[in-house]
Amino acid sequence: MKKFLAYLLAAIMVLSMVGAAGATELAGTYDITVWVAAEIVDLTKTQIEAYNQSNELGITFNATVEAVSEAEAATNMVTDVEAGGDLFCFAQDQFARLVQAGALAKLGVKAGENVAATNDPFAVAAATVGDTLYAYPLSADNGYFMYYDKSVIPEEHIDSLEALIADCEAAQKYFAFEQQTSAWYLASFFFGTGCESTWETDAEGQFVSVKDTFNSPEGLIAVKGMEKLVKSPFHLSSASGAEFSSNAAIVVTGMWDYETIKGILGDNMGVADLPSFEVDGTSYHLGSFKGCKLMGVKPQVDPARAAALHRLAQYLTGDECQMGRFEARSWGPSITALQQSEAVKAHPGLNALLAQAEYAVPQGQVHGSWWDIGKVIGDDVKAATDEAGLQLALDNYHDKISNLFKLDTSALLFVGAWNGWNNADDTDTYYIKNNTLTLDVPESDYMGGRIVNPGDWGTDKGFAQVTVGKELIKDLGADNPDNNIVFAEAGNYTITINGSDINIIKN
Amino acid sequence: MKQYTDLEYLKLSKGQRLLYRIAGFFCSIPKKIGGLFVALWNLIKTAGSAIGKEVSDIWSTFVNGDWKTRLSFLVMGFGNLARGQILRGLLFLLFEIVFIAYMILAGGYWLSMLPSLGKVGPTEEYNIIFDTYVTTYNDNSFKILLYGVLTIFFIIAFIYTWRVNVKQNQMAEKILATGKKLKSGKDDLRSLVDDQFHKTLLSLPLTGILIFTVLPIVFMVLVAFTNYDGTHDGYYNNLFTWVGLDNFNTMLNWQSAGGGQSYAATFGEVLSWTLMWAFFATFTNYFLGMFVAMAINKKGIKLKKVWRTVLVLTIAIPQFISLLYVSKMFAKNGIINGFLMNMGWIQQALPFWEDPTWARITVILINIWIGIPYLMLITTGILMNIPQDLYESARIDGANAWQQYTKITLPYMLFVTGPYLLTSFTGNMNNFNVIYLLTGGAPTNPDASSAAGAVGYTDLLITWLFKITTGAESQYYLASVVGILVFVVVALISLVVYNVLPSIKNEEDFQ
Amino acid sequence: MSTNTLQNDSRPARRHMGLRVSRALSNTAIYTLLIIISIIWLIPFVCILLQSFRVENTHQVGYVIPQKWGLDNYVRLFQTDFPRWYLNTFISALITAVLQTIIVLCMSYTLSRFRFKMRKPLMRLMLILGMFPGMLTMIILYRVLKDLGMTQENSVPGLILVYVASSGMGYYVSKGFFDTIPKSLDEAARVDGATRFQVLKKIILPLSKPIVIYTILTAFMGPWGDFVFARYIAFGTSKGMNVAVGLYNWLNKDQISKFYTMFCAGGVLVAVPVTILFMCLQKYYVEGVTGGAVKG
Repeated sequence: MKKFLAYLLAAIMVLSMVGAAGATELAGTYDITVWVAAEIVDLTKTQIEAYNQSNELGITFNATVEAVSEAEAATNMVTDVEAGGDLFCFAQDQFARLVQAGALAKLGVKAGENVAATNDPFAVAAATVGDTLYAYPLSADNGYFMYYDKSVIPEEHIDSLEALIADCEAAQKYFAFEQQTSAWYLASFFFGTGCESTWETDAEGQFVSVKDTFNSPEGLIAVKGMEKLVKSPFHLSSASGAEFSSNAAIVVTGMWDYETIKGILGDNMGVADLPSFEVDGTSYHLGSFKGCKLMGVKPQVDPARAAALHRLAQYLTGDECQMGRFEARSWGPSITALQQSEAVKAHPGLNALLAQAEYAVPQGQVHGSWWDIGKVIGDDVKAATDEAGLQLALDNYHDKISNLFKLDTSALLFVGAWNGWNNADDTDTYYIKNNTLTLDVPESDYMGGRIVNPGDWGTDKGFAQVTVGKELIKDLGADNPDNNIVFAEAGNYTITINGSDINIIKN
Repeated sequence: MKQYTDLEYLKLSKGQRLLYRIAGFFCSIPKKIGGLFVALWNLIKTAGSAIGKEVSDIWSTFVNGDWKTRLSFLVMGFGNLARGQILRGLLFLLFEIVFIAYMILAGGYWLSMLPSLGKVGPTEEYNIIFDTYVTTYNDNSFKILLYGVLTIFFIIAFIYTWRVNVKQNQMAEKILATGKKLKSGKDDLRSLVDDQFHKTLLSLPLTGILIFTVLPIVFMVLVAFTNYDGTHDGYYNNLFTWVGLDNFNTMLNWQSAGGGQSYAATFGEVLSWTLMWAFFATFTNYFLGMFVAMAINKKGIKLKKVWRTVLVLTIAIPQFISLLYVSKMFAKNGIINGFLMNMGWIQQALPFWEDPTWARITVILINIWIGIPYLMLITTGILMNIPQDLYESARIDGANAWQQYTKITLPYMLFVTGPYLLTSFTGNMNNFNVIYLLTGGAPTNPDASSAAGAVGYTDLLITWLFKITTGAESQYYLASVVGILVFVVVALISLVVYNVLPSIKNEEDFQ
Repeated sequence: MSTNTLQNDSRPARRHMGLRVSRALSNTAIYTLLIIISIIWLIPFVCILLQSFRVENTHQVGYVIPQKWGLDNYVRLFQTDFPRWYLNTFISALITAVLQTIIVLCMSYTLSRFRFKMRKPLMRLMLILGMFPGMLTMIILYRVLKDLGMTQENSVPGLILVYVASSGMGYYVSKGFFDTIPKSLDEAARVDGATRFQVLKKIILPLSKPIVIYTILTAFMGPWGDFVFARYIAFGTSKGMNVAVGLYNWLNKDQISKFYTMFCAGGVLVAVPVTILFMCLQKYYVEGVTGGAVKG
């Protein structure tokens, strides 16, 4: 007992000295690897040097800064977390994948509070799963807007998609907007008509549900608008600023192409928010994704090293460094205070992005497969010959989205038939994720169902496997060849699968 | 099917003979499958009796052997050492020591973990002093599987060596009984460059193949029976484990589990294009390459070396540079469309990469550009080897150029390059670079199964496999299943061709 | 099989005018064809070469002839890690060429000359192994190499190991070549008391120049174009990349606009050693490949 008290005392002392104890024990030199985009490698080196100079808590970093593009970083981290950079930058769409891969360390309490307090809320949401922050917002400019060649496109046309297409066709120049190979860009039309695709994750970052309204009357309007563009012979499915020197008059892309396009077009460069398109007399302004770039810390084994790395990440995504990146490379800051500064507001590109932001949807967490499923719509729309074809494109899309949850091999299905087994109309399918399902059984004739593996309907679990709660279900004996679970009375039940056993509890 | 006698067969034309053989092959499939089971049964029987023989042989060696032999059962190489074969004895002993040490230090652990592929995943803890999270890594399913397999390899190697060790004792006893002398270490070393020279030569290549080809393939085949993917990577997030035949069920299930195609249908579509591609890629290159080689080799054509060098440049420049450029050339706003439009020949850009059919034809055409130089080099030499008097006499008989080609050149070429055509066909089925660099599989196929990544109309099985591996979900287990299916398809095709082309079967014919 | 046999038409001139005219006509047609083919084959290379001298901007453009010429791209290339990548590739190509040639020759010579119990099963096994898509094994080879400490910055030895280790599977061409060397030569030497090793050294190798050069050439060329496997092994560390991976990374969305012309310049520099080698050794390549490729 004495020993326990001593421990308790020590623990309380440590707790009260968090700041001070941390300060002394963090001091030291750390060999680290930092992955950033090629264009900010030198800048980041300087910034880390500046951090070392400030000598905060006696921490010094011996950093190797490698150029790894934001797209590449996530793929590399998933390949092998251990070989990844201690700090690495990535675009928001890779976030969920990285969390699931175990490649991101959670932020400490203080760091989390600090990030949440200073950054744009959408950027904070982008780095959050459940209630936990997993990364530091690095920039908030990962969206797209329109660049155009002033010598081809008259200023008064930039609000109308139809006028822009006509201008391009008349001038025999291309309208580059990546509609056939990228879901990120083609979602623009859907967001314009008010469709949404909102994904929910559980605390582990696993996707559990989606609210997707692309397959709706609004979605049909969106693909009608898209059809106008993709069927134009002068539509180019590309999002590269360099297309301006290959006969393009309009390119929809983001801040990263600003300098390139400026170099090509010079004074003829125009930037604007995306145009509107018209279907059946109503005008819809094209939407977009409002996304950000994040910096993550690789999970660490040593607490001191982890704490030091988090400090560096905070510094690199803090006021000073975000401003540095804005000044050197025009990266739009994610810190609210900086977004309001005059210098940032005066930047034409960021200004156009800001104008577009009004119509933009915060990117949130999106299932990794959505990008592959969504990008097909453009090709589908192009191939469609009539409205039925357009609708088919949406149906196809919708089926695949709902499929995402069915094909999860860890999931089981509960197929319920409330009014007798052969009555297909009232069959309901529930997904049993994480081995637990809560369902409402309505009062009806049969009130039964079976638990099956989605890949294999033959290997079902049912009556025979129920170990707990057998009194809640009917024993139909030989009348139950399908091994169904038939409830004795209506109500709300929780089914838990525990190995090969099934437990049923009435709530 | 009508069976021809030898005489009737010989009366048939070349084409008819080929058809006959192909038809014969397919008609014989049921019989062959039956034969396969018989062969399998025989194999099991032979294996069973062989093992029985081995065991009884080992037993009799033990019973009849002297104490040196008997002790060798426990201490490998003891018999050799006791009988003066120091080198062999030491090698055996060393191997045993290494084996036992390995099994105790590591092998036992890997083997014991193999059935579960690990029990404890990584854990994360909050460290209150530093206000930070730290991760502790535990079991590693990947390593367990890898080193588990390696340990099994090692055990097999040990059993084999132990058997050799026993046999050597038996033989040594026999030799000594007849009064002859045993081979000394020096003799052994000498035989390694003489009688046993093939063993010396093969040891290095085969070790390499065992570790860097066989082991990975065994591993990847096993992965098809696990749930190894990006979110079950076995160490950093979740452990992976055995799932039996689940993945094959998913892949081979014709019933789509909702929207889009089933995996099986997508696989079928990709496979049919892969075969189509391999066929066209092989034969367009073959005939056009031969044609170019003949043109360059024609009498009276000057600057032969220059023409060849120009073509050979495509081989010398890495494909990831040249093909990426060519791909851009054919883009909607690329220089080819730009040129055609400037000349006024077309009003709007040709959909080289946008339209499925156009894209497929374009990749085949561009592949000609890649392939002709190789074929030109290969056929140049063979064409020169055709005896010139054949042409001479044909010319005297009044045969024109086309007749000379169909009657002399082509049959000769086909006979000599038959095996090459087969390897080239299977090589094209797995031609990753051309498709990946030119189109990346585009345009996408809207019907394709959703969870299998975005499958395009120009995707080959191999590029699809690459997409599955490196795609958003890194479904290694699925890639592994596809890989196994690719193997089955390639093996089947090779089997068909081997049965149809007799010239391949008998390699000694060429010597 | 010298190149000259076909060029020197030494048969008596017993043709009449008509034949000569038609031959001249057909030759003209062939020349036209060859010129067209040459142009088609050269266009991409000329374009890439021209891009590498374009200095007015660094991104992809829709025209071919540069507006401003210069060597800037090459100069800037040497301010990046390119020399390191080049050296990495050169070293791995060189070592791979030597080791792979030894392995392939060992393998093919043995399978061509020796008749031992496991020969046929071995060949069949390798045929079967070759049917598995090699791409799959990338994942596991990475982990194996990582355990050996041969990934990322140390990936050069790792790559060499993988290239060389599995090269025994590619024995077909050189086995075909050895099959064409008469066995009676070996047997005569064996009767004279030479060991197998001496037969190889004194008799076979001197006759095998074409196939040795062919094997060296193909082995040397391999590493220059490997952007898939090498990328998987050397990710995240510029120092360990080979030239293909380094250049390929410049094609990323956020880099291509700044690096495209340098990418072309790098491509030209990569092509130089291989092209030179090829031009010098073309004759042997043809001899090697015709001796071997056709014999499976």
